[in-house]
Amino acid sequence: MTATAPASPSAIVPSTLTGTGHLVRLVLRRDRIRLTLWVAGLVALLAVSASQVLALYDTPAKIAGYAATMDDNPALVMFAGPGYGFDTPTIGAILVNETSLWMALGCALMSVFLITRHTRAEEESERADLLRSAAIGRHATTTAVLLVAVAANAAVAAGSALLCIVVGYDPVGSLALGASFGAVGLVFAAVTAVTAQVASTGRGALGLGAATVGLGFVVRGIGDISTPVLSWLSPFGWGIGVRAFAGERWWTLGGLVALAVAVTVGSFALSVRRDLGRGLLTERAGPARGSAWSTTPLGLAFRLQRGALAGWTVGVFLLALVYGTVGDQVEQLLEDNPELADYFAALEGATVTDVYLATTLRMMAMVVCGFALSSALRNRSEETAGYAESMLATATSRWWWAGSHLVVSAAGTAVVLAAAGLGEGLGYGLVIGDASQPWRLLGASMALLPAVLVLVGVATALFGWWPRGTVAVWGALAVVVVIGVFGDVLQLSDPVRNLSPLTHVPAVPARPYQALPLVVLAVVSILLAAVGLAGFRRRDLAGA
Amino acid sequence: MRTGEVHGFLGPNGAGKTVTMRILLGLLRPDTGRATLLGGDPWADAVALHRRLAYVPGDTNLWPNLTGGEIIDLLGRLRGGLDPARRDELIDRFDLDPRKKARAYSKGNRQKVALVAALAARPELLILDEPTAGLDPLMEAVFQDCVLDAVAEGCTVLLSSHILAEVEKVCDRVTIIRKGRAVRSGSLDELRVLARTTISVELADGAGAADLVARWPGVHAVRVDGVRLGFEVDQPDLGAVVERLAALGIRALESHPPTLEELFLRQYDAELTEAGVNHP
Repeated sequence: MTATAPASPSAIVPSTLTGTGHLVRLVLRRDRIRLTLWVAGLVALLAVSASQVLALYDTPAKIAGYAATMDDNPALVMFAGPGYGFDTPTIGAILVNETSLWMALGCALMSVFLITRHTRAEEESERADLLRSAAIGRHATTTAVLLVAVAANAAVAAGSALLCIVVGYDPVGSLALGASFGAVGLVFAAVTAVTAQVASTGRGALGLGAATVGLGFVVRGIGDISTPVLSWLSPFGWGIGVRAFAGERWWTLGGLVALAVAVTVGSFALSVRRDLGRGLLTERAGPARGSAWSTTPLGLAFRLQRGALAGWTVGVFLLALVYGTVGDQVEQLLEDNPELADYFAALEGATVTDVYLATTLRMMAMVVCGFALSSALRNRSEETAGYAESMLATATSRWWWAGSHLVVSAAGTAVVLAAAGLGEGLGYGLVIGDASQPWRLLGASMALLPAVLVLVGVATALFGWWPRGTVAVWGALAVVVVIGVFGDVLQLSDPVRNLSPLTHVPAVPARPYQALPLVVLAVVSILLAAVGLAGFRRRDLAGA
Repeated sequence: MRTGEVHGFLGPNGAGKTVTMRILLGLLRPDTGRATLLGGDPWADAVALHRRLAYVPGDTNLWPNLTGGEIIDLLGRLRGGLDPARRDELIDRFDLDPRKKARAYSKGNRQKVALVAALAARPELLILDEPTAGLDPLMEAVFQDCVLDAVAEGCTVLLSSHILAEVEKVCDRVTIIRKGRAVRSGSLDELRVLARTTISVELADGAGAADLVARWPGVHAVRVDGVRLGFEVDQPDLGAVVERLAALGIRALESHPPTLEELFLRQYDAELTEAGVNHP
């Protein structure tokens, strides 16, 4: 700036934020549908859950019964929360238990995707160069997308609170509950602003951000089961710690907002220490020649996906290990609590531990779907990035190219799912001193493989016939998760539940193996994939 | 296109050059009409044909986490093998660092990776879509030498380009397309016949002959430039015009044949002319 430059704008806004307003509009314009779906989807999920809870627990006796079932059950504490307010149970406390963690998780993931998409992924595409060459301040991009994240999280918070009040919950508790979702989402938006500085690729920033969310989720679970102090290391612990409907402690929300601001300032400090387009983790020189393996289509597909595969395998293994080590406490609980014995008696002779193991494996399978789908969509992202053009202009057939990625997706899914089974079995086996558990649960996890592969098949079919709509497969996963996690509270009918391939898998190891459903699911997944590949052979390739 | 020639493929932005090339590569299916490439159908026989050709796109997208060297080997082997000696020689000639990750390359360096991979495969046919976009002038010259070397070994080249000097230097024949249709096709000499020669002449009686010259058939755009007279002549009338000028007494005469730029602009301007806009 020269001395003659007008001082008026910079007197109010520092020059590093110049252009933030324009960029906010750009982010909103690009994400107007995506973000609306996220916000509306999350609010709708909460609204439906809230009214179902109200309908299901309509007498004080039912409310007390719910609280008694939940009390001290480690598996439920892991997935639902510590159960604040169950000493004098209220309908609000049940609502918190059913929705708080999952809604906060939804807001966290919404924020991670939003921030990555507009920061690191944008820089990687080099569009950021074009923007930054305009009169745009250094921190304007991050600030703009963070402002949008604030607005999106506030919209989820306000919408959730409003609808809870409308269906008849206590207004103060509703506000606290809604605000806790948004505050957790905000913290992870700021965290992702940091991972976008650290990683040098959009994929890397997304992975780091999502890993932080997963870590926060698990740490709070372990803390609530064993050492409550640990829960305060996780934003999820602070979020549910607002104790909505149970004597609100508003300061925990203040703590989350302060954390978000501090982390944001940290990301600004990091961003001035690097060049545009570079990460803090810098690149080393690589090999000057391609190996014989990595220069085949299959080798390349593996090479491109191995980082994600390794990350998911390790992450899922550790998460499963945690769930496994909790396994023995479930049995303890049964001895202490005769009321629970009645609850589990309906499960046809299976031990309560096996029910726990089967349930957690099913949850893990939904997590593995995340890997399976992002891997199955790699074909499409390679196509739109223009890499497929380079491959298909060589003597590589479309079958061979798309099939290579599909083989890596299917095999990778099997590996990640096996990590879930082995991890859970190892954790449980270590605790009870039984070396056969890893193999037993490896078998149980493999029973879930055909069901997960059905989603890979759906993604491939979309890729072949409706490539612009491949993103819709995430909607299919959302349906599977809603059916799996909220199926009971939403009282979904059997035809609806049958939409999810996971519904058809026998709950091993709590139930006996059944070959027929697994064979049918496997055949369906193979047919979907074959149809998708056939469609891809017939269609035009998208330009870069 | 004829075997063994370098065929220039020219046209304004959006004329359909890249789409044509993508159809020839079997990446798109034509809505109407049929394409034949090396005696085969580009869609049905894609894999067999691709063993015999190499393609360089105008904006090369490379996997950001692979090194240039790995990508060259990958594309080379997928084409059915590449000549390692040729590869090393080309890396050297293009002054490329093959150990860098592709995300660290500039546009010009990405282009070099694609060019080295294509040329090292020693294909029968090279399909090049504005291959020198982003290259510096020195590398452009290296590229032209490499293309001429490949042609000397029997390679056929389809080259789309906006750099007319490059086309003039390496191409035997050119096709000009506009709005998806070929409007002219032929050797550069043949196309020159369609254009006008520019003449600048100093006559015995100075600029006084301007009105006279302007009435001769085939003469256009007469202008007086001091003592000199400048104008353009249609190629078929050139001989007659020079004879008439000689009769008027020539003191000095310069003529230059139409450049490719002029050819190009004339073709592109056809729309304007059709619309009645008078263009000098």
